Amino acid sequence: MSLKLTTQAYCKMLLHAAKYPHCAVNGLLVAEKHKKKDSPRDSVLCVDCVPLFHGALALAPMLEVALTLKSRLIRPGNIFPVFNCPILIDAWCKENKYVIAGYYQANERIKEARPNQVAEKVAARISENFSEAAMIMWKCREPSTDCFEDWIEAQKITAALLESKSYESLVDFDNHLDDLRNDWTNPEINKSVLHLC
Amino acid sequence: MSSISELYDVSWEEMRDKLRKWREENFRNSEQIVDVGEELINEHASKLGDDIWIIYEQVMIAALDCSRDDLAWSCLQELKRQFPDSHRVKRLAGMRLEALERYEDANKLYDSILQDDPTNTAARKRKISILRAQGKSSEAIRELNEYLEQFVGDQEAWHELSELYINEHDYAKAAFCLEELMMTNPHNHLYCEQYAEVKYTQGGLENLELARKYFAQALKLNNRNMRALFGLYMSASHIAASPKVSAKVKKDNVKYAAWATSQISRAYQLQHLPAGVMLTSLALSISTKTPYTTAASAGVAVVIEIHGRRQT
Repeated sequence: MSLKLTTQAYCKMLLHAAKYPHCAVNGLLVAEKHKKKDSPRDSVLCVDCVPLFHGALALAPMLEVALTLKSRLIRPGNIFPVFNCPILIDAWCKENKYVIAGYYQANERIKEARPNQVAEKVAARISENFSEAAMIMWKCREPSTDCFEDWIEAQKITAALLESKSYESLVDFDNHLDDLRNDWTNPEINKSVLHLC
Repeated sequence: MSSISELYDVSWEEMRDKLRKWREENFRNSEQIVDVGEELINEHASKLGDDIWIIYEQVMIAALDCSRDDLAWSCLQELKRQFPDSHRVKRLAGMRLEALERYEDANKLYDSILQDDPTNTAARKRKISILRAQGKSSEAIRELNEYLEQFVGDQEAWHELSELYINEHDYAKAAFCLEELMMTNPHNHLYCEQYAEVKYTQGGLENLELARKYFAQALKLNNRNMRALFGLYMSASHIAASPKVSAKVKKDNVKYAAWATSQISRAYQLQHLPAGVMLTSLALSISTKTPYTTAASAGVAVVIEIHGRRQT
C-alpha cells in the first residue's frame, strides 16, 4: 500500500509550513472516497490538505472541533444540541466525497522529526475511520519522489508559489477561528495551483 | 525590482510609522519588516534622526529570522559603531551567533554580559532560548523556573513557560503559569481561553467543568472569541454525556451546549455563509475518557517520512 500526494496537497502543506517558519504546524490530508467499499486500495492518493493549526499543537479542544464535529440525521426528540455549521471539515468532506486519510505535522525544530504524542493520537483517531491512514512528519532532506503523483510538476509549482509569497494568503483552521470569513479550503491557492499546472 | 514605496504608494513617513506599529505590537512579520526596513535604511536614513538606531535593531532581528545575514551584519556594524560598549548591542551580536547555530560562542557572549551585570534579564532569557533551540526542554524549563523565582512579574517568561509545559504535555504546570497570567491580566480573554483549553485537555469531570467556566468567562470578556464559544460547546457536551453527573447537571449542560450552538450558527450566518447541513457532535457519543487519555493502540497502518525512507 503506497501513499501518493497530488501537487495541490503538497503545495498547501509546504505553504503552511512556510507561512509559520517559527512554529510547529499540522493538518489533515484527504483522499477521494473509494467507490468499491470492500476491496482494499493498492494506493491512496491524497488529493488535498486541510491546514489546521500553528503554534501550540498539544491542546485538545480545537483539534476535536476540527476532527470530531460531524453531520448526522436529525431525529425527532433528539435531546442533543444541533447546529448549523456548514463550514466544518466533516461537512466539507461529505460534500466533496472525501475521506480524511492522513495527518501531517512539521515540528518547531527541523531536526526533530519523530511523531510525538499529538501526532500519534490524531493518527490513531483517523485510522479508526480509515484503515489505510498515513502520517507524514516533515524532515529537511531530499524527498523520495515516489510519494508524488508528479514530482517535477510539484517542485516547479511550489517554487513559483514560494517565490510569489503565496503563503501569506494561506488560511489554516486557526486563522478561520480568528475570523470566520477566512476560508480554510483556500480556493484562491487552489486556483493558482491549477493555473500553474 | 520595484521598491515598497512604489509598489504600495507609501511615503517614507508611513513606512517609518508602520515599523513603529509592528515594533510596539511585537509582530513577527519578519519578511515585511525586512522589506520595509531595508528600503528605509538604504534610501531615507538621514531623515530618520534618532529613530534609526531602534530601526536598525528591529530590522536586524527580522533579518536573522529571514536568514539575511548580510543585512543583519550591516545593521549590527552600525549599532556597534554608535554604541560601542552597549550590552543591548552585545545581546544582538549574541542573537546573530544563535542564528548561525554557534551556540557555544553565543553563550560565552551572554555570560560575559551577566558577569558585568548579573541582573541583565535579556541575556538570561537568550540563554534559555538557546536551550529551547537545542531541544533541551527540561533544562530550559528548569532555568526558566529559576529565572521566574527572581523576576516574578515577567509575563513574557510566564507565557513562554506555559508553552514549554504544554509541549511537554505537563498540563497541570501549564495551567499554573496561565493562572499567574490571569491574575495579573484579569481582562485578557486570550489567557482565560487558553487556560480553559489546558484544563479541557487535562481531562476529567472537574477539569471539564472548570474549562467550561473559563470558556464562559472568556466569552464574557470578548463575545466574539470563537474558540471560547466552540470550547464552551465541547465542554458542556462532554459533561452532559458523562455518566457520572446528576440529572440536573446533565440538563444544565445540555442547555449551555444548546445556547452555544445557537450562537455558533448565528456567528456563521452573520458572515452570510450558506445555511446547509445540520450537525450534531460526535463528541456526545464519546466516552468520559477524553481523547487525550486513550492510547494509540489502534496503531497507524503506515508511517511515512516524506523526506526519508518509507516505513511500514
